Amino acid sequence: MKLGRRALLGGAGLLALGVGGLTGRRLWLSREPEPPVAIDANGRALWSNWAGNEHSYPAVRAAPANEAELAALLPKAQKPVRPVGSGHSFTALVPTDGTLLSIDRLNGLVSHDAAGLTATVRAGTKLSALGPMLAGIGQEMPNLPDINKQTLAGALATGTHGTGKGIKAIHGDVTAMRLVLPSGEVAECSRDVRPELFHAARVSLGAFGVLSEVTLQNRPLERVKKIVSLVDTEDMLRQWPALAEKHRNAEFLVLPFTGKSALITHDTTTEPVSPRGTDQDSDTLMDLKSLRDLFEFAPELRKKAAQSAMADIPPDIAIDEGWKLLSNERPVRFKEMEYHLPIAEQVGVLREIIRRIESDARGVFFPIEARIIAPDDAWLSPFYERESGSIAVHAWYKEDHDWMYSLAEPLFREAGGRPHWGKLHSLKAEDLKRLYPRFAEADAVRRSVDPDGRMSNPFLQRLFG
Amino acid sequence: MRKLALAILILPLAACGSGEAPPKPLTAEQSAKLSPSDPKLAELYAGSCKACHTVKDSLAPLTGDRTLWDARWAQGEDVLLAAAIQGKKGMPAGGQCFSCTPDDMKALIRFMAGREGEQ
Repeated sequence: MKLGRRALLGGAGLLALGVGGLTGRRLWLSREPEPPVAIDANGRALWSNWAGNEHSYPAVRAAPANEAELAALLPKAQKPVRPVGSGHSFTALVPTDGTLLSIDRLNGLVSHDAAGLTATVRAGTKLSALGPMLAGIGQEMPNLPDINKQTLAGALATGTHGTGKGIKAIHGDVTAMRLVLPSGEVAECSRDVRPELFHAARVSLGAFGVLSEVTLQNRPLERVKKIVSLVDTEDMLRQWPALAEKHRNAEFLVLPFTGKSALITHDTTTEPVSPRGTDQDSDTLMDLKSLRDLFEFAPELRKKAAQSAMADIPPDIAIDEGWKLLSNERPVRFKEMEYHLPIAEQVGVLREIIRRIESDARGVFFPIEARIIAPDDAWLSPFYERESGSIAVHAWYKEDHDWMYSLAEPLFREAGGRPHWGKLHSLKAEDLKRLYPRFAEADAVRRSVDPDGRMSNPFLQRLFG
Repeated sequence: MRKLALAILILPLAACGSGEAPPKPLTAEQSAKLSPSDPKLAELYAGSCKACHTVKDSLAPLTGDRTLWDARWAQGEDVLLAAAIQGKKGMPAGGQCFSCTPDDMKALIRFMAGREGEQ
């Protein structure tokens, strides 16, 4: 068969039109979101979260310099009073047209116990600053999340976690807190002192008052070896329970449409320091985006091109103190949904999520993240009395994320998943009551310390009813 | 056309005549040592901008590195202020400084751009 010149020209023209059309479509779908106005009609400056999907125009911005100023401010501040850490939550925990309360100035080490390996720190301390601060006294937190820009208070309030068999989320290692209640009272709490407040407000959603100080149970500072290696996703899924058991910290990122996953492990070592190199994650992410842009409608080609590009990539290895390796810079902003499932459900649900995304959401290019978290006993902890396997899906901040609600969330919910408090979900009070055995008790404590709802915004009203 | 040619010839001479040495890139360590001279700004800076603007992997322009800032500065302070308040690309809205006023942000931009002493 021989194609005539006219047909070839016509075909080339159609192809060019098709490629041009697809490129134009992707450019339109991935356009920079129109930002909200910087200053509103009342002269109030914009507040927006890190991802840019939530915003408000607070009437007042407060940044108390110490606990006494915080205690004096809280009962008088224009409501709703919403504490803000680093704005890393994707949910609407922070937006307020009343008082936006930053605790950035409440930072630093208060005291420590070298023998007991505890440290009391001000709650506005950023996790990125906490690492070197604790290293200076020979301690480290047992774990850290993927990003370390958050304040300690914000990380605790949302149940922020890392990964590792037998390793709890950050709030699981809190032994005492000083919480400034909406009345201005400074409440100390621990397992022995006001235990109901301690259990209810360790994961607080910023709804019980504002944390001023936190005592952490740490462990001796150690050196760890971080290895990032590319593996076949099928092998990864099969071996995950054993790998999670074997390593101090293990997680993996499924790279959809490639058949590959990145396994990240950290293990204690005495080998000499070999500092981490320049961040490659952002480049890899943009390469995955380029593959998506080119082959969105040709998944087989997308997979072949990815596997060819990823062939023979050696493992990336770094050796250093844990606080330097466990967290990462994330200059590419994104939106995220993460649910914490009973551990036995994790792999099965993940398989189905991958299948659904590769079948029905071909625009996705961000990895799917899987981690493991030990149980704890904070009443609003997503890990309350159960070992959890988490699954997180992501979308570039410029792109649509509705598919998370239609493709992923129903699976998470069917498996009994509890949402990360700072990440996207659609649950309401009636759903949460079923998922959290002590939800009613936690809410009763919240109402007792904030009877007038001074700290409640519309999102919290949805959660607590 | 002659005017344009003259202007092209004069430009490098003007640059020489300004007496200003061409900017040099900073390392992350050099950048991290810088802090605003005003104590209030220094506290705001340490609690927000510094977390990214002294870390190369964050892709934010390093504080004080005019090889990275001068082209941005040329866009005008108002453009930079709007980007700081509204966010742009990797830069989150407000630059993570939630107690900063617009005037604080202007001053912090000026400092990070290596223009603190200028009027």
